[in-house]
Amino acid sequence: MEQLVLTLKEQIIETLNLEEITPDDIENDAPLFGDGLGLDSIDALELIVILDKYYGIKLGSPAEAKEIFTSINTIADYVVKNRTK
Amino acid sequence: MADKAWAGTTYGGSKMHRYLVTTLRYIDVRLLYGFAAIFVVPVCLVLNESRKTAYRYFRDRHQYGRCKAMWTTYVNHCKFAQVVIDKFAMYAGKTFDVKVEGLEHFNALANGEEGFLHLSSHIGNYEIAGYTLGSDKKTIQAVVYAFEKASVMQNRNNMFSKTNVSMITLKEDMSHLFEIDQAICKGDIISFPTDRCMGQTKVVEALFMGAKAKFPQGPFSVATMRSLNVLAVNVMKTGLTQYTIYVTPLVYDKSQPRKVQMQQLIAAYTAELERQLKQYPTQWYNFYDFWN
Repeated sequence: MEQLVLTLKEQIIETLNLEEITPDDIENDAPLFGDGLGLDSIDALELIVILDKYYGIKLGSPAEAKEIFTSINTIADYVVKNRTK
Repeated sequence: MADKAWAGTTYGGSKMHRYLVTTLRYIDVRLLYGFAAIFVVPVCLVLNESRKTAYRYFRDRHQYGRCKAMWTTYVNHCKFAQVVIDKFAMYAGKTFDVKVEGLEHFNALANGEEGFLHLSSHIGNYEIAGYTLGSDKKTIQAVVYAFEKASVMQNRNNMFSKTNVSMITLKEDMSHLFEIDQAICKGDIISFPTDRCMGQTKVVEALFMGAKAKFPQGPFSVATMRSLNVLAVNVMKTGLTQYTIYVTPLVYDKSQPRKVQMQQLIAAYTAELERQLKQYPTQWYNFYDFWN
């Protein structure tokens, strides 16, 4: 799980061009949107593509995505349970 | 028309929109062009701040002298009145002569399996003909602002019901993102307005017409995240009842790092926009302080 969390952080930093942020700067339980990492709706689409591209997960609904994208930990939990690659 | 921001809607109320559509069923658009040029535009120029931003656009971006800038500000507003009238004439069932330059670029992508993007701008009159670039194989998914007036949305719905165009409305929740992603995965055409930053916190700065301007990051992110082909589609008014659709491929190196891809794509987009505005300077309809 620790390795997956680190990989997810690295993928998010690379994909979203978060140049001044390191994996250590992203707290596992901190909110990704709003006051936390400050991601916005287009970033959410990037996260949807990350889950599809690297883990073979296709999300079904905005409500589901909102819950999953709460923090790095919630994404990692979902990936562990639903990944197909 | 506002000075610093854009309200995200077509000018006028629902009653006025309905009245325009009904009127245009029976009269020639040229009568309304004349009425607008003599009676409506002068009043708008006095009442609206748009005259200032349009004047600055001609002075600073095209380096026109004072007299020429004042005259072209008036012509610019007349042209804007004409394209609005044309839009409602189209809702009323009227048709226009439309020529296409670069149709081969559209056909090459439309006949392929992959989805691709149309990037449009608030120059000319995209709505009147941009969606006529139809394809038997693909649906055009037009991303539109949710703040638009109900009457305009209803007219769009009526018009699109006869075509293979669907609308994806930008919403507060993330539902539009799923629709965009699903459309891309299906191989559809996504049509994005690309020159306004409505509802988007992330913007990219680019040199445009000699000064830095902000553009929404979204369309460029969507293109590069799935390495999509991109076309700039601009529909310019080229006669009283004629339009020309310019289809131009926007080339970027998909083997480069993502950030470089986005920079290349934005540069290609702004270069095409500049090319159009140098040819049709009075068809720029972003009536707010675009460069600040």
